[in-house]
Amino acid sequence: MNETRSGQRDPDGPVWYQIRLKGHLASRWSAWFGGLTLTREDGGTTLIEGAVIDQSELHGLLQRIRDTGLPLVSLTSAETCGSHQPAAAPPD
Amino acid sequence: MLGPLLGTKLYLPRRKEGMVARDRLVQRLERGAAEKLLLVSAPAGFGKTTLLTDWLSGAPFAAGRARRAAWLSLDRSDNDPRVFWTYVVAALHSVEAGAGRSEPQLVALDQPPTQVLLTALLNDLGSTGDDIVLILDDYHVIDAPEIHDGIAFLLDHMPPRLHVVISSRADPAIPLARLRARGELVEVRAANLRFTPDEAAAYLNGTMGLQLTHADVAALDARTEGWIAALQLAALSIQGRDDAARYIAGFTGDDRYIVDYLVEEVLQRLPADVREFVLHVSLLDRFNSSLCAAVTGSDTAKATLDTLEQANLFLVSLDDRREWYRYHHLFADMLRSRLTQESPAVAAQIHRRASDWYAANGEPAQAVEHAMAGGHLARAADLIELAIPQMRRDRQEAALRRWCEALPLELLRARPVLSNSFAGALLSTGETRGVDGHLLNAERWLDPTVARRESVASGAQLMVVVDEDEFRRVPAGVAVHRAGLALFLGDPAGTVSHARRAMDLLEEGDELGRGAATALIALASWGSGDLETARDAYTKTLVSMERAGHIADILGCSIALADIQITQGRLRDAMRTYQRALLLATSGGGPPLRGTPDMYVGMSAIHREGNDIEGATELLARSRELGEHVGLPQNPYRWRVAMARVREAEADLDGAAGLLDEAEGVYVGDFSPNVRPVAAMRARIHIKLGRIADASDWARGQQLSTADDLSYLREYDHITLARALLARCAIQPTAERLDVATSLLGRLLDAAEAGGRTGSAIELLILQAQAFAMKGSAAAALVPLERALLLAEPEGYVRAFVDGGSSISSLLSLALKRGIAGDYVGDLLAAFGPIPQPVPARQAPIHPLSERELQILRLLGGDLGGPEIARQLVVSLNTVRTHTKSIYSKLGVNDRRAAVRRGEELGLMSWTRDRPGRSSARGE
Repeated sequence: MNETRSGQRDPDGPVWYQIRLKGHLASRWSAWFGGLTLTREDGGTTLIEGAVIDQSELHGLLQRIRDTGLPLVSLTSAETCGSHQPAAAPPD
Repeated sequence: MLGPLLGTKLYLPRRKEGMVARDRLVQRLERGAAEKLLLVSAPAGFGKTTLLTDWLSGAPFAAGRARRAAWLSLDRSDNDPRVFWTYVVAALHSVEAGAGRSEPQLVALDQPPTQVLLTALLNDLGSTGDDIVLILDDYHVIDAPEIHDGIAFLLDHMPPRLHVVISSRADPAIPLARLRARGELVEVRAANLRFTPDEAAAYLNGTMGLQLTHADVAALDARTEGWIAALQLAALSIQGRDDAARYIAGFTGDDRYIVDYLVEEVLQRLPADVREFVLHVSLLDRFNSSLCAAVTGSDTAKATLDTLEQANLFLVSLDDRREWYRYHHLFADMLRSRLTQESPAVAAQIHRRASDWYAANGEPAQAVEHAMAGGHLARAADLIELAIPQMRRDRQEAALRRWCEALPLELLRARPVLSNSFAGALLSTGETRGVDGHLLNAERWLDPTVARRESVASGAQLMVVVDEDEFRRVPAGVAVHRAGLALFLGDPAGTVSHARRAMDLLEEGDELGRGAATALIALASWGSGDLETARDAYTKTLVSMERAGHIADILGCSIALADIQITQGRLRDAMRTYQRALLLATSGGGPPLRGTPDMYVGMSAIHREGNDIEGATELLARSRELGEHVGLPQNPYRWRVAMARVREAEADLDGAAGLLDEAEGVYVGDFSPNVRPVAAMRARIHIKLGRIADASDWARGQQLSTADDLSYLREYDHITLARALLARCAIQPTAERLDVATSLLGRLLDAAEAGGRTGSAIELLILQAQAFAMKGSAAAALVPLERALLLAEPEGYVRAFVDGGSSISSLLSLALKRGIAGDYVGDLLAAFGPIPQPVPARQAPIHPLSERELQILRLLGGDLGGPEIARQLVVSLNTVRTHTKSIYSKLGVNDRRAAVRRGEELGLMSWTRDRPGRSSARGE
């Protein structure tokens, strides 16, 4: 569970991440990236997003991205996710 | 861990005919191979490995010098420093027989300190000979910081003949900026590796035999951005098509992940059975036809592999015999992701079959990894349990810990053998957290009634035991681990009681368990001052370890036992302890076992006590000759302390103080109680030098007082305090001061005698004699002196008396006149001899060389000039000159030749350890 104290972000709680790659990945790659959502965007990029439980998982994810050879365009994090739904709704 | 796959990791793939010549890169590679580090850093599929293998297999010479390539393909399982360096040594060994000579027993350590291992390796390599290029392929799989640190250390200290090449998908975590700034790094990066349009044309229309138009080639090159893997896949999917131009236009205009898309294209063109084979095999890191047949169920695996190889379908051959293969990594990743996404159940089944194949073919580690990858965790737990006895013998606690940590707790809970071994693996890797819980898990299955009741009540799991023999060992094992945990937590009483319980539970013939239990009793008893119990327990440990064939442990325990025997005044027993261990260590005929130099250091101290200074010095030289890296963790510290005592006996007090300073810097406790702190030893030297104020500062800093309660652990400190008081009395005698000193000495003596510490008692009786003599009563002084003589004579003590100086020699003369212990006293008086003369030229220098000076002296023995030496040590030429001058003056010589000759006489040149004519000195 991801309890937060006095509105502060739990440093060990899951965080919503958005990772943008150059190139269009088929949606079947979602499983390879730990079940995160894949969205193909205009301009030839793919957005991978979802709750990442901790920094270890994030770095594992980045390693998998590295191993595809696809260029990494951007990486951003949003607020802490609640335990039941994303705290910040992912933008479309 | 080094299974039969070793060879495939060290195999330098052969150059393939007809590959695109990349002359523009070869120059850069040659430049890199002349520097310390050549880094080939680029994403997957950029042709890093191919570039390196093409270049190396075609270039055995560089600038007219012979060059040898030591190749190592890394994978995830190399992320353990022990495994990693073992492979590096094996790779170097494959091109240079001398490399890693001292490796076999070094890799048998539980946790080899990387620097120690590397120093040994570099010593073995030496600075002369052909150039060696060490290639670490796929270095990005390494993320253990210890390994990065080790590489940085290697780069800083390696001889100029060695060059490192790292190929990686990510820049390695080593100080690249520093290497870059010094011009010691050459880089080949993605921008250099991409195929230029000309290279793409040469590849597509030359190597692959396509007949593409200039425009098609340009379109492909632009779409792939020179990404070699994509071009290769494109070529394969175009081969045999009539409509190449239209086909190319079909995918060059969009943003699809081109490698993924083209893999799909290539797969689609394969017959269904081959396509399935290719996909299924992708879960294996390496494969031969037998393994392929096992996982795919195909009876034509060998033929299919041949077909794939002929069709250039991304197979990389891993040996000369065309047995073992792997896929190109990027291709394997594409296939794996596809298989695990589309048919997870099939993937799990393939992992299971691979696990079974590896288990049946004697590769338990691979069997466990595949079972885990396929999610067959219960199967993995079974396999781990079966591997435990072998892992214990091979000291694979770190790997065992990693595996157990990957298992869910519910699985572990049902398995007493695993729970107990997990606890042991945690303890031996220095972790106490969780140990108690795992031991409780194991224990609750040991009472059959409790176990049954619980499973009925909760409907929960039943106990799982795969290895019944191991299960019978669980009760004793749990007790040993409880004892170890208590020792870690600073509870000697608990340690002893658990270890005694273990002794009762151990099976007949479990000598390893018996050795562990007695050693724990010994350590805990030693630390709490119960020397007799400790001595008895260590004696038993040695018997058990010898029966179990654990010679390496015998050496470590022998040092502790001899320490205790010396404190008990049993010098002759201590000598026998060292000699016996030395005999065991050298009887194998191989290279000296780790711990051998420590035996020499220990024997040296006993020779010194018998006033055989020459013999003591010779033994220390022998220890140095073998090298610190062959020593136990305490060797650097113990060697310096022993040498300081020799210097002291030679009346070189400054030299002794300098060595003690060094000793303090390299002190490690290694679980032994610190019963003779270096700071107290230095205070004793200060007392001898007349620096009483410094000694008082030390006593104040230690918060020592004559009114303290006395304990064994602080005995040496308190005797030192008594010495400081007596020294002050010698300068400014007051009755009160003398009374305080004699009262402390009396209490210390009582405590020493009550604790059976005859060695301490002899020292204290001699001090008492000096104190009584200061009080003006020679008759009273002779009483303790006579007792000291009585205790000391059978054990051959000499320096204990001689170090007492003129006051003791007068008392001994008096004793001689009164006919006390005649012959012995006569010998002692002879040992006082004339005041030591300045050290003659053939003996060791008064001022020892510093580590840096030793390093430079050794380099002076080679053929490097001053500027080259400066470059190698990364210091200025001036610094080298300053050190050289200092070396000459310390050695009493005027030139380089004489310095080297003198260094050889003194055994200081042990850079390469087996000099002719010296090796015979060992092992008698």
